[in-house]
Amino acid sequence: MSDPFEAYDDLDELDDRLNAADAGERRVAIIELANSGDPGAVVHLDRMTADPDPGVRQQAALALGEFDGPDAAAALAKLVVDPEQPVAHAAADAMAELKDPASADPILPLVSHSHAFVRMAALRALKELRRKDSLKPALDALRDVDASVRVQAIGVIGFLKLEESIPALTSATADVDPHVRRAAVSALAFSHLKPAAESITRALADSDWMVREIAAETLGTNTNGLQAADALIKALADEFWQVRLKAVRSLGKMKVTKAVVPIGGCIGHAQANLRKEAAAALGEIAMPEGRKFLEPIVDDADPEVRKNARWALQRIAANSATGS
Amino acid sequence: MPLASYETSVPVVVDDAKCIADKGCTVCVDVCPLDVLRISDLTGKAFMAYDECWYCMPCEADCPTGAVTVNIPYLLR
Amino acid sequence: MAMDQILDGLSEVSCDVLVIGGGTAGPMAALKAKLKNPKANVVLLEKANVKRSGAISMGMDGLNNAVIPGYATPEQYTKEITIANDGIVDQKAVYKYAEQCYSIIEELDSFGIRFLKNENGDYAVKKVHHIGTYVLPMPNGETVKKAIYRQLRRARILISNRYMATRLLTGTDGRIAGAISVNTRTAEILVIKAKAVILCMGAAGRLGLPTSGYMFGTYENAANSGDGYAMAYHAGAALANLECFQINPLIKDYNGPACAYVAGPYGAFTANNEGARFIECDYWSGQMMLEFYNELQSGKGPVFLQLNHLHDDTISEIETTLHKVERPTRGLFHEGRGTNYREQPIEMHISEIGFCSGHSASGVFVDEFARTTIPGLYAAGDMASVPHNYMLGAFTNGAVAGTHAMDYADNTDFADFDAADVARERDRVMAPTKREDGVPPNQIEYKARRLVNDYLQPPKVTRKFELGQRRLAEVRDDMENRMIARNSHELLRALETQSIVDCADMAAHASLYRTESRWGLYHLRTDYPEKDDDNWFCHTLLSKKDGKMSSEKRAVEPYIVPIADDEKDLYDKQRIRASA
Repeated sequence: MSDPFEAYDDLDELDDRLNAADAGERRVAIIELANSGDPGAVVHLDRMTADPDPGVRQQAALALGEFDGPDAAAALAKLVVDPEQPVAHAAADAMAELKDPASADPILPLVSHSHAFVRMAALRALKELRRKDSLKPALDALRDVDASVRVQAIGVIGFLKLEESIPALTSATADVDPHVRRAAVSALAFSHLKPAAESITRALADSDWMVREIAAETLGTNTNGLQAADALIKALADEFWQVRLKAVRSLGKMKVTKAVVPIGGCIGHAQANLRKEAAAALGEIAMPEGRKFLEPIVDDADPEVRKNARWALQRIAANSATGS
Repeated sequence: MPLASYETSVPVVVDDAKCIADKGCTVCVDVCPLDVLRISDLTGKAFMAYDECWYCMPCEADCPTGAVTVNIPYLLR
Repeated sequence: MAMDQILDGLSEVSCDVLVIGGGTAGPMAALKAKLKNPKANVVLLEKANVKRSGAISMGMDGLNNAVIPGYATPEQYTKEITIANDGIVDQKAVYKYAEQCYSIIEELDSFGIRFLKNENGDYAVKKVHHIGTYVLPMPNGETVKKAIYRQLRRARILISNRYMATRLLTGTDGRIAGAISVNTRTAEILVIKAKAVILCMGAAGRLGLPTSGYMFGTYENAANSGDGYAMAYHAGAALANLECFQINPLIKDYNGPACAYVAGPYGAFTANNEGARFIECDYWSGQMMLEFYNELQSGKGPVFLQLNHLHDDTISEIETTLHKVERPTRGLFHEGRGTNYREQPIEMHISEIGFCSGHSASGVFVDEFARTTIPGLYAAGDMASVPHNYMLGAFTNGAVAGTHAMDYADNTDFADFDAADVARERDRVMAPTKREDGVPPNQIEYKARRLVNDYLQPPKVTRKFELGQRRLAEVRDDMENRMIARNSHELLRALETQSIVDCADMAAHASLYRTESRWGLYHLRTDYPEKDDDNWFCHTLLSKKDGKMSSEKRAVEPYIVPIADDEKDLYDKQRIRASA
């Protein structure tokens, strides 16, 4: 009877098979190298980055994704610049799974590569590695001609959470591309500095609804979000219910008492999602003024709306009983 | 009791021109949770031997050459 | 060699810790056991292939029950689960999960598994439930299995793919002694002696028959045929609350999740044919399923997942996740029917019944160390009794089981077992291959599962259950005396059929024992329609006593997180119907 356990193969034997004349056989050998789980496989896989067959190179990229560290990253760096798109894409995805900060070394130079895809992939990988020396190249990349590169650059900067990058992120909130602006607003969330909150607040007036939505949401998590209370109240009249909904949620979370009446105004909106959040926010703020908006909807046809309305009324009752 | 066979159209289709099972690849056969794929003695290519599919996709997703297509089983379509 | 030819063979290996099932809990259990004692032998046995086996073969689209500091507390989560399970919960195990799951998330993150993060690299936790915030999306969750497998290989775990465990071996002193398994491609028998065994064999998801009639079109991975439940039962372990069935809302016919946890945070909701919300209950529970069932039965059915009120860009984001992760053929299914989320709502239905603690509470009884009632035997994941586990519970409780089992194995020796047990099991396993003539397993399985639908599906009616038991006994007789297997693959299906029939019997027995209604639709008995806390505020334990199925009550352990009376009624109060 054969061995019941999966084999831990001999890497040298597999290395021989990497020389097979047939590309399919070379691919099979690469698959087995990946399965070995043995970091010693990386050096053999590295050799395959120069294989003439693009399918084999793509397989090598997938296989390298099973490993971490500077050697695996260096091999992937060779494949992410491959002229064949499937190879480059497989390498980019594999790079995004790297976790060892030392893997950043071979990737950093790629941030100034001539192809936008490579620059984007490099920054995407650097984000998770959170190395301080990637800040400078990321800041430079905010001026990249390609918007997808600028979005990833913001990720690198945002993940590092350094107050020194607030001016750069702030200028990015005025980028021409809405995806970049959206990312920049979200990346400012961590900051304890007032200018960050001010930038997020300005984004409530952005021309793109998704930027306004993320701004309304982010203010609810930012230390200085309360300063934006008036702007958030204004956002309750946004033409997109999605933006109003996030503004309601943030105002509720921050217990902005002066928002009770304007939030109450959302109770009559046609979109049940918004009515439900408005009821919940009135409960979080728990001011008696909220009652008059909630009482008419305790029997609302929508169960989520009436559930939140009843919960909110309980909260208001409990709050006035304790007098807090 | 005598037995009769019962014909079904199977959801997993393999493109023989792309399949490299004849080069030693067994990826799709290995990853199938229901163990319904086999390699044909005749053609050396992978095929669906048993119509017991959860249409879950590892065979298609992991195939190194893109030779495998998973369709929704006819009864569910 | 002809395909799936039956070979005659038997061999024996031994190890310190044997983990059975390489899906979610199992790999984590094996990894933690090995890390606890790198010198020890850890074997991971899997019926399919660890690379892509189990409920998460294509990953998972999110964590449904993440307890992340700043968003939820272990106390809050324990309360929520206690209430969602109508109070029948041993809180220690739930609390332990809640305390440890965050470190498991961080560990999974370090393995390269990607969770949704905001632009500051913090987890982007989403609010789905009314009270707690527990949902962490995984738009790139398709790589989960790959990342875990990588860790197993690195730790040099002994992996045995394509071996189906059939019975546990217990020692003459009552301790666990190992397991017997059969190769699903050669029918050769492998006996594994072990000091400790961890069962991580998933749900009993091939119990009811999907309404499409396609036997493998189940909600759960169809490989999850309840083998672990059957094995634990035959070894004499206790199984808890099996009457608390699993029934889930899903995309009709496709039979996969829709999925409220993915689309919900973006504003999608479940609606009736008037486009209105109708679910009153908050946390995923039998009560929620009852409300769903009632709506389907009423004139307001069918039920739909409504997304067409959302913005185009939002829908695109939802689609990327739904069509790539967990059940990626969802997109193909919708395409085939011409369904576009932007234009039409998605028709939904409820699933066939099963056992699965991942979504409900039925499982092999375990304590907060994942110990079953048999010394040295552990269980984790969808088949263990910690309620509402989901994927993260399987990973976390798998870790608990692995660590504790290795501790146990380090301080014990192999239990002696009777060699005749092995011979007897070999004869039982191989019996269908020795018959010249008979009924193939697919027919026996179909019939058993059709009977499950006809007689055991809630609402539960005593008279129907009794008839169902009688019909199932006839099927069992056929299965034990007339079933044939002509190759090793068919033998695999024959053995799974035995697990399915065992689970059907347990489902019927446990349901008849609890003479009240509880857990909404999961245990809705028309002849005992009320909840009866005076007599039934307890677990039920089912086990094999003197060769026969037997049930008993077990008190709920005193709560460690007290629940105030008004909190107990929290959901009931919110559930009050509109008076209009």
